[in-house]
Amino acid sequence: MASEQPGAAAQGNRPPLWGRRRSVERKRAALGYGLVVPALLALGAVALYPLLYNLVLSFQHHVLTEPGTNAVVGFANYVALATDPAFLGDLVRTLGFTGVSVAVEFAAGLGLALVVHQSFRGRGLIRASILIPWAVPTAVSALLWKAFFQQQSGFVDFALTHLGLPGSHLVWFNSPLLAWVPIIVSDVWKNTPFVALILLAGLQTIPRELYESAQCDGARAWQSFWRITLPLLRPAILVALIFRTLSAFLVFDVVYVMTGGGPGTSTEVISYYNWYKFMVSLNFGYGAAVALVITLLALALAAVYVRILHTRGDLT
Amino acid sequence: MFTRAQDSKPRAPRWRRLMAMVGVAAFTATLAACGSTPSSTGSKTVTIVFATQGLGAEAKATQAAIKGFEKLHPHIHVTTNTLSASSNTAYQSLVTDFGSNAPTPDVITADVIWPAAFASAGWIMPLNRFHPSLSSFFPGMVKAGQYHGQLYAMPWFINVEGLYYRTDLVKTPPKTFTQLVKEAKSAMGHGRIGLAFEGNKYEGAVTVFQDVSGGFGGQFLNAQGKPVLNSPQNIAALTWLDNAIKSGLSPAAVTGWEEGNVQDAFLSGKAVFATNWPYLFPLAEQKGSAVKGKIGFAPPPAQPGGRSTASLGGDMLVINKNTRYPKQSWELVNYLTSATTMVQRALISGDPPARQDAYTGSLLKQAPWFAQEEKVYVDATPRPVTPLYPRISARIQTALSAVYSGQLTPRQALNQAQTQVQAIISGK
Repeated sequence: MASEQPGAAAQGNRPPLWGRRRSVERKRAALGYGLVVPALLALGAVALYPLLYNLVLSFQHHVLTEPGTNAVVGFANYVALATDPAFLGDLVRTLGFTGVSVAVEFAAGLGLALVVHQSFRGRGLIRASILIPWAVPTAVSALLWKAFFQQQSGFVDFALTHLGLPGSHLVWFNSPLLAWVPIIVSDVWKNTPFVALILLAGLQTIPRELYESAQCDGARAWQSFWRITLPLLRPAILVALIFRTLSAFLVFDVVYVMTGGGPGTSTEVISYYNWYKFMVSLNFGYGAAVALVITLLALALAAVYVRILHTRGDLT
Repeated sequence: MFTRAQDSKPRAPRWRRLMAMVGVAAFTATLAACGSTPSSTGSKTVTIVFATQGLGAEAKATQAAIKGFEKLHPHIHVTTNTLSASSNTAYQSLVTDFGSNAPTPDVITADVIWPAAFASAGWIMPLNRFHPSLSSFFPGMVKAGQYHGQLYAMPWFINVEGLYYRTDLVKTPPKTFTQLVKEAKSAMGHGRIGLAFEGNKYEGAVTVFQDVSGGFGGQFLNAQGKPVLNSPQNIAALTWLDNAIKSGLSPAAVTGWEEGNVQDAFLSGKAVFATNWPYLFPLAEQKGSAVKGKIGFAPPPAQPGGRSTASLGGDMLVINKNTRYPKQSWELVNYLTSATTMVQRALISGDPPARQDAYTGSLLKQAPWFAQEEKVYVDATPRPVTPLYPRISARIQTALSAVYSGQLTPRQALNQAQTQVQAIISGK
């Protein structure tokens, strides 16, 4: 918000001026604030109010099917949450999913970005078409990949069988470990283009001269990649990682659509747990506590990244 | 800089005034929209909102019924509000409406497993005060609509999960599960599936398990409402289902199957037996069906000591506690649940009537399969009628899925589910 007020911020540093001008400046500042008010109100209504209401709810016993029993219960919901092995299990699984899918997306996204950064015929077309998966709604891509991974009828089974590869005729969704493969593949397929796009933008800011002079100094391709491309790409990399890590950490739709957390609870993630408490248990008090804890965990993750950005001086 | 500021000085307030006016206008419009509700006066036409599921033929049947109702009651206008076809989504949107004490929808179509939860939350009104006559309805349906001795939901159409079999491969429907295995094995070959059933982690797996559990003499909750999920009968039942997959009677793929997949397997002629709902029958009898004239529908088998159990599904009609028009809402419910309207619906959409006196000669002549289905309806067993059912079911779904995927033995999974359901019921 503050960035929308450069005039107001700068004003404070100025030496005091004669009365009339000051009053005009004050009026201008008032106009500035007035113009920001609608945005603040909107933010308050859609972000601050729900957050505060959620905070209040989380200290209550509030189960929708038990009307009239709402009572303030202090930290009871949080205590129950901290000792729920199901939540801790889901948290570990969520972190595992986040680590694997973000790592794969980063590697694939970087590869894609490097390729489409080269100049070749039809580059525009390729650049546009790699974005297509990203434009597909998550629920749709999850359904698509669910169908692809069906035993016998699915495309993956067909491909593995005809290529003579191991893994044909597997019932992917009936194995606690294998069920993650379709989930991760679907997530990677959809989100790699996003990573590639951000990294491509980063690549385009690296001056060509650096590579030319490196070449003159006899650097090999991998040396200039390691010494020039990667260090200069770091801000873009961190931005892509922040976005992807947070949204992978909060993953819900892929899991909900593909496995419903199954088989058993082996693909259950924290957002699914949260949804379950809200919409199946109808326990809004407990659900609110879970939501708040998830928000704090996500903020902590974001803080780690922001700290890295700051200490490296990449954030200006 | 200075001059520009002066220039903008007179303009700014005007602009702000305009903004304020627009804002106020928008706000007033919103308020007006919220407040414009019809007042309830005797002879004036009132509008009631009917929230119901169903697309295509079902929507057509509903519209036909509403037309007939409005003709009979010119002072009541009915608008429909189509709920999501997905039961879970529809439930969640209704919970949101009820939770905010909204007076509409007035009349709501409720899945047979919802009325208890709605009643315990105080969202729907008891219907006893309208003195409904219940003697013609299937008893299982009536039971599903009662909570704490009061009637909260009127049965609209019934649905039961039965056993489909191929009359060209199996002479008579199996009476026991042992018999089913034997008959399926002798008819398998030619790439056929012995038993196609719903094994995905969702509600449909629970109804299949209830069918088998009852057949082995098991229950989910006993007569006192205490969970008995890990009873020897239930362990035997789940072991039987697990063995069906392990022994190849059912392909491993059933662990991801829902009704649609079972339907595909059975209609393509690939399955000897299949667990599914009545809607499949007319599809199998359609022109061009690979199994036309070759199928039968029977109550699920039972082992000695068990009882043939066909899980009850279907839809009920409930009335919003906060409706402004209780009398008019009841008129609609009463009309929709009359034998005549039910027959009309059965002929348009194939939804089986929830009352026995609707199975008239003319209905059976036009839709002969209802004769076989009716026999299964009598055995219809509701799932536990408790507001906690959705949570109990979720635990059973997890247990079944953990067994089918080989993570837990039937005993381990049911012990775990028992502990969890005990905690749910004791309010932890």
